[in-house]
Amino acid sequence: MTERFTIGVDVGGTFTDLFLGSSEDRVETAKTLSTPEDPSVGVLAGLRRLATNGGLDLETFVGRIGTIVHGTTVTTNAVLTRGGARTGLVTTRGVRDALEMRRGIREERYDNRFLNVEPIVPRRRRLGVAGRLDHAGAELEPLDLEAVRQAAGRLGDAGVEAVAICFMNAFADPAHEQAALRVVREALPGAYVCASSDVLPVVRFYNRVSTTALNAYVGPVLGDYLGSLTRKLQGLGFGGVLLIMQSNGGVALPDVTVARPATTLLSGPAAGPTAAAAYVQAEGQGDCIVVDMGGTSFDASLVRGGAAALANEGEIARLRIALPMLDITTIGAGGGSIGWIDEGGLLRMGPQSAGAIPGPVCYGRGGEQPACTDADLVLGYLDPDYFAGGTIPLDAEGARHAIERRIAEPLGLDVEAAAAGMYRVINANMAHGVREVTVKRGLDPREFPLVVAGGAGSLHACMIALELEIPTLVVPPTSSVLCAVGMLLSDLQHDFVRTYITPFGDLDFDRLRGLVGEMCREGNAQLRAEGVPAARCRHEAALDLRYLKQYHEVTLPVPLEAIEGGDAEAVAAAFHREHDRLYGYHLEEEGTDLELINVRVRSIGRVEKPTLPTLEEGGADAGAAVKGERRAYVPEREAFETVPVYDGAQLLAGNRIAGPALIERVDTTLFVSASYTASLDTHGSCRLENGGGS
Amino acid sequence: MSRADIDKVLVSIIARGLKAITDEMSLSMEKTTRSPILCEARDFVTGLYDAEGRMLEQTENLPILSFSLSPVCKHIAEIYRGNVFPGDVFFHNDVFTYGNQNNDVAAFKPIFAGDTLVAWAAAKGHMADIGGAVRGGYNPNATEVWQEALRIPAVKVVERGELRKDVWDLIFANIRLPIVQEDMRAEIGSCTVGERRLVAMIEKYGLERFEAHKQVLFDSTRKMMEAEIRGIPNGVYEGESKVYFDGKTPGSVYTIRVKIEVEDEHITFDYSDTDAQTNGFVNGTYTSSASATLLTFLQMVNPDIPHNDGMVEPIDIVIPEGTILNASYPAATTFGNHLCPPNADAIIRALAPVLPERVTAGWNQLLCSLSTGRDPRKDDDYVDILFMGLKGGSGATSDCDGYDHIGMIDASGGILDQDYEMFEQQTPHHLEKHEYLVDSAGPGRFRGGLGVETRYRVGGDGTQIVTFGDGDVEGAFGLFGGHGSTLNRIELRHPDGTVYTATSKDLVSDVPAGTLYVQEAGGGGGYGDPLERPAEQVRREVEDGIVTREAARDAYGVALHPGTTRIDEEETARLRGAM
Repeated sequence: MTERFTIGVDVGGTFTDLFLGSSEDRVETAKTLSTPEDPSVGVLAGLRRLATNGGLDLETFVGRIGTIVHGTTVTTNAVLTRGGARTGLVTTRGVRDALEMRRGIREERYDNRFLNVEPIVPRRRRLGVAGRLDHAGAELEPLDLEAVRQAAGRLGDAGVEAVAICFMNAFADPAHEQAALRVVREALPGAYVCASSDVLPVVRFYNRVSTTALNAYVGPVLGDYLGSLTRKLQGLGFGGVLLIMQSNGGVALPDVTVARPATTLLSGPAAGPTAAAAYVQAEGQGDCIVVDMGGTSFDASLVRGGAAALANEGEIARLRIALPMLDITTIGAGGGSIGWIDEGGLLRMGPQSAGAIPGPVCYGRGGEQPACTDADLVLGYLDPDYFAGGTIPLDAEGARHAIERRIAEPLGLDVEAAAAGMYRVINANMAHGVREVTVKRGLDPREFPLVVAGGAGSLHACMIALELEIPTLVVPPTSSVLCAVGMLLSDLQHDFVRTYITPFGDLDFDRLRGLVGEMCREGNAQLRAEGVPAARCRHEAALDLRYLKQYHEVTLPVPLEAIEGGDAEAVAAAFHREHDRLYGYHLEEEGTDLELINVRVRSIGRVEKPTLPTLEEGGADAGAAVKGERRAYVPEREAFETVPVYDGAQLLAGNRIAGPALIERVDTTLFVSASYTASLDTHGSCRLENGGGS
Repeated sequence: MSRADIDKVLVSIIARGLKAITDEMSLSMEKTTRSPILCEARDFVTGLYDAEGRMLEQTENLPILSFSLSPVCKHIAEIYRGNVFPGDVFFHNDVFTYGNQNNDVAAFKPIFAGDTLVAWAAAKGHMADIGGAVRGGYNPNATEVWQEALRIPAVKVVERGELRKDVWDLIFANIRLPIVQEDMRAEIGSCTVGERRLVAMIEKYGLERFEAHKQVLFDSTRKMMEAEIRGIPNGVYEGESKVYFDGKTPGSVYTIRVKIEVEDEHITFDYSDTDAQTNGFVNGTYTSSASATLLTFLQMVNPDIPHNDGMVEPIDIVIPEGTILNASYPAATTFGNHLCPPNADAIIRALAPVLPERVTAGWNQLLCSLSTGRDPRKDDDYVDILFMGLKGGSGATSDCDGYDHIGMIDASGGILDQDYEMFEQQTPHHLEKHEYLVDSAGPGRFRGGLGVETRYRVGGDGTQIVTFGDGDVEGAFGLFGGHGSTLNRIELRHPDGTVYTATSKDLVSDVPAGTLYVQEAGGGGGYGDPLERPAEQVRREVEDGIVTREAARDAYGVALHPGTTRIDEEETARLRGAM
């Protein structure tokens, strides 16, 4: 039988990572430079690389791919760089500023220079129209369709590419929004138009208008990108399934994500925790901190009990998205982070990144500002002739020169000391990011192994761990493409929600079953369209419940059987327990009734997952893998020393390497600092323990 | 434990851990309370205090409430010494034993490590009712505390985990709305969350290490604050501001005078020359006024200083009893929290000449309303404070525009608008408008923040609307050539066509259904000469509809070609030259 492939593709700000799983239990990785102008160019370059490595021509290779799982940050970048579509908002007359006001919050209470966020839709393109529903969805005033038509005309004149429609109380009845949707689509046939009742049909106006506006803002960006990618793949004879990574940690078909592009806004790092969990579970652990340092950004998250924490809402650049997403902290720190001197004469790193173009100075692509990778090169951590397996020759002289002129001279240091300073500052920044997901939540980072990912991660991880006194690090063999690996381990997943406000005592179980059934059918239909057989589909239900007259809800997972069987008592008992666990008390004895607000269904389609390959056993002695030595900076001793360099591909399970040492793999280099000792486990992960180094 | 055993990383882990706990307590309050004043607007604070009542950490959604928790905690620790047991809960609101406002009722729960009292958890929020003569608590006719509220001195409502039902019933027999009971249960729950987490933390690190590291945290925080104060030139700086209308005598005016003395790493705020107290409810308590002083000063220093006892050590605040900022027993004081904005104005005016880059121009003063009545849809009573309507603009700084629609300085953007749909779920009213108020920002090189216009149609029966605040006589002030901003205003347009303009401390009963409530919250003051504001920035604001063409011309000297939003360069140059 012909070998078939499954491929994970993770497009980052600087690199496009690929991971290949095969029907013959073979895995392979590849890394190419990202092409931000049209990311699909980088994706195809990566596929070509994999094809060449396997001795196949591109068409033959692509023809044998069954599934491509694709993680894209095009929507995220569109919001962060304000490169989304020119967007208009049609909303209820009198409330057009809600989007910009963000309920009047200033996140920093005592900082009078902390500014509000520039709205993604400026006031001149936020238009109110007459037409009003009351709190229960009854019509108070008919929708003024003529006003909608005029608004569409004005937005058309303003050159909008996307329109969000969000009316007061549309969660209770979508009729006005749907009517407006038809009018606007007719008036602006080329525009991406979406309504809040489709994107997020739940109560709370600000959450809905913000999510819907973001959805419109990134809709054309994602649509164009996926359209172009699909055409290119089909042109190469791709006949398999393309799946897109979502912020909730699951994957979905392109059409599904283009209908709700906001579900991809925080999807970039969403596959990392799944892969990290798989590697620590192989070592018998369920908890870890995952850090992923790529070229542009650094993501930190926490896995507990084998899964990353999930939130029902979150923010991107202080803008609300009320859709389920993994709980991940992102800061601007990566190999491309630019070093600079601030007004106070202090050395700073990032958040600006040299990205893929022009990239760090050492890439020789016209970059003039010294980046983190330039410092790593000067410090001896990188081999100028073996970066990305030798495919990108590095210009060491250029890097030295840039650091000398822009960092060392203003600070009055020599080049090496300046590079060491850049290394230290960015490591401290990243350590702070790890604190965000641990210490800030009252957790001690020292109790968790640190799983290291990203192309630049393994050069910096030891120093991050030292700063936080984390004793154990795990560097998976696929660390530089960990998100791409995670994509092949992620299930198809779709989240649905409906508002049904009722006192729990009056709950009509038939109506509840109806809503759940409707969402399950919708989930089944999507999963079937994605090619998942019925036996691999399952659904999880949850109810957003609260005590009567409370304002906020607890999302309580409820077994489908409890809904099927109408077991109100079991649900109530579980709610009391959960309320007490979260909030310190319950009102079971007081006999306070509960109130249902929303009904949620998550539909999951289990995918076949590649097994992690194992490594041949060897002894403790890793001497056979030594490929040379070079001078590199040892931070613990603030000095350059001659450090052995190991060929990662030659290491065997059980090998031990005391720091300081460098372990080179094709797409990443691991720096084992003097405080740590590395040992190889059966899956090829390097486990670093504090102590034992020299 | 010696100094050498101090683990610096552990100090910051404990500091962040304490912050995580008070944040989680705050989340518990936000998620479990019933009154929209608490769960939507977050008019509450949560904190942890050591066994002596010294502040370990707070989550200050509304800073004006925050700095009275530690004095009350010290008071409880003192009077109940030897009589505090695991599982106890105390309630407190009494303004004559360090409380800040009658409606702000606190729950305190002691935290034990074994048999040793090690800390207290506290939560305090603005209750929807607190008895007294007026539903919701703001009684502009009050002259003594008993006319405004039920006094709750420190009382134990739960002893060793057992509810003292007699005490509980006595309290809640004197409060109108049943949801207040539920919200006080939520406060206890929040304290329990704090207790569980802190006990776990102390178990993990050991009490001795925890205590030693706590002291290091206090010391380092104190040093940070001292360094900030040392950055202010030594000297004596004076400022004043006006409080208009005491709720009784039309046209009455009172003056707040502050003398700020900076000596090396020490700062004193002295209010000895402030006017005497009023005979109405426009009076402060020491802790509400001192909170106002602290929160204003904290905006002028490094915002990263942790909030614990070390922060307040180098700061002295002198407010003689009998002044409008510290009224004598048994004065009415419900308005006291709202003397924060004029107090802040006096401090800003005093320090602006010496700290021009740290101060803001004047902020929009609070003018607020509270509606109560019966919701026929649910056949139930409701209380709502219209937070979305009160949030005006902040003052501009030397290099930034003010913050639009942020609200009074005592919250600084910490309290939120009700979500519009939740407002219509929770009250019988119907929202017609909530948008930026055109031309409300004080013009300047940097403009003040925008104010907001709110309109809702009154629904339901027996509606009573209470107003409390200021800013309808004098708008937010400009600084260094910046202009002042628009005034606050609340009016009721009745279905019969008559219009009633509310005073700043008013009580309006029997508001008919169908009345249109109209409120304007003013903007913040501008900073620097508006003629120096780039014309393009002004033009864009005209395009966005927040500055009119007339205001662009009159205040900024920017002329636009008729019928377009293009700048008339020639006319602009002429106007700016002539102004």
